[in-house]
Amino acid sequence: MLFRKRQSAAAILLFSSLSLHAQWMRYPSAGTPRLANGKPDLTAATPKLDGHPDLSGIWKIARPNTIPEGTASYASLQYWTKEGIDIQMQPWAKALFEKRYGSFGVGRPSEHCLPHSIPDAMLVSNFKIKQDAGLTLFLYEEFMRFRQIFTDGRPFPKDPAPAWFGYSTGKWEGDSFVVETMGYNDLSWLDDAGHPHSEAMVTTERFQRRDFGHMEMELTVNDPKAYLKPWSVTMQFVLMPDTELIEDLCDNERDGTHMVGK
Amino acid sequence: MGRTWWGSEKPPVYNFPRMKPTVLLWVILLIACGTLSAQWLKIPTPGIPRTPDGKPDLSAPAPKTAEGKPDVSGLWQPAPGYVENVAKDLKPEDVPMRPWAQMLYQHRRDTLSKEDPTGWCNPGGVPRSDAVPYPFKIVPAAGGGEMMILYEAVHSYRQVFMDGRALPKDPNPNWLGYSVGRYEDGALVVESSGFVENSWLDNGGHPGTESLHVTERFKRKDFGHMDIEVTIDDPKTYTKPWTVTIPLKLMPDTELLEYICTENNKDLEHLVGK
Repeated sequence: MLFRKRQSAAAILLFSSLSLHAQWMRYPSAGTPRLANGKPDLTAATPKLDGHPDLSGIWKIARPNTIPEGTASYASLQYWTKEGIDIQMQPWAKALFEKRYGSFGVGRPSEHCLPHSIPDAMLVSNFKIKQDAGLTLFLYEEFMRFRQIFTDGRPFPKDPAPAWFGYSTGKWEGDSFVVETMGYNDLSWLDDAGHPHSEAMVTTERFQRRDFGHMEMELTVNDPKAYLKPWSVTMQFVLMPDTELIEDLCDNERDGTHMVGK
Repeated sequence: MGRTWWGSEKPPVYNFPRMKPTVLLWVILLIACGTLSAQWLKIPTPGIPRTPDGKPDLSAPAPKTAEGKPDVSGLWQPAPGYVENVAKDLKPEDVPMRPWAQMLYQHRRDTLSKEDPTGWCNPGGVPRSDAVPYPFKIVPAAGGGEMMILYEAVHSYRQVFMDGRALPKDPNPNWLGYSVGRYEDGALVVESSGFVENSWLDNGGHPGTESLHVTERFKRKDFGHMDIEVTIDDPKTYTKPWTVTIPLKLMPDTELLEYICTENNKDLEHLVGK
């Protein structure tokens, strides 16, 4: 209901369908546990790397059970809040959110090929996680953006230039990979619905790979300039085995002229 | 300028080296200077050999991976000039273009590269993204999977599959193609194909088509220096393959910056080609 006029989504779907037969789309992922019939065993045990869970793989957001099947878009954080929890915004943020939400999200950065940020990129795009020594990479299929999460113990930069993906450091707490990010610009939307934020935002993501094919992430948004108190959402991801990311560039910048928000 | 551009006082220009108004150039300079004080640009890169005074020892031996293979990981910056003309070290007869390609290349030169796809924020492609004066980071293939190349320029990535798979047959054309890698004679050899029809191999507009096959031989000479020997084989465009060598320097104790081309794409309005 949110985005009835979402031509961009339709266009992306169309392009995706056309490209599925080619490329490395059917290539078996190495190291995938398999059932007797050769299919990936997505409920097998969580893989390990250097004594920690290995988050590596291609992941995709799972439809939250709070919304019915067939809903066009669920790229809104409201679907992941715990029941009864309200996201309490500062007056300016509330006014801005209602303006965006009420106009079908027209003006969102992706119209102009600008990046989806955190957590929006994980809501709208398949993404690959790759763990290396000192560095964990997120490669987002949509617009071919990448994000570096430093795990070499470095401190946050002081007064960094505001960035779409901010500056991220990660560490293991038990079986949770905890990512803290600061230094965001204030241009990104947290979701397609248009939840805003300020440059003061600090996010904490706690990733837990529950088994081979399932991962959970709890996101905490702490942005006192935009929200009355910190709030959290929990989202689920499923593994996409035996496939690869597709090159998805936003190179024609035509969406903007086709948006029909009020 | 905080970044040293290969000993050159001239700041880098990604697009359109012959652009007459220097507006864009100054904009880039200003933006670059504005951001240099912040971020992780001064943080010591872990694992770099150092001289007694703590400076990176760029002439230390080239490192090896845990498996004893050449380790090409790190933040690299290409020597200047190759992005303008990737064949700058060759004679024109060493880059024999078919008549249609010669006409197209001449058109691109005559129009001062006005139709360059990077003006629309597209990625440079291969080998152009290796030659652009912004750094790129090579992240090794942990566990033998895929090696990642993170390009600062227009914030894009490229995966090089190291698991022995073959290049895909009849793939969707990609700006950055499809890449597989292997080790051979002390070099990392990356083969790529599946490119778009209208590749620009450099700012000058050396053409490439869907028949383009690029071989890159990454040869790390010591800790701080590497050559990429690039062979261009595109029988639709060139009557024979040709090879160039792009030298690179390691950029120690710094980090990639976030470069989002679509954020401030003023190139198009500043292009002055005919």
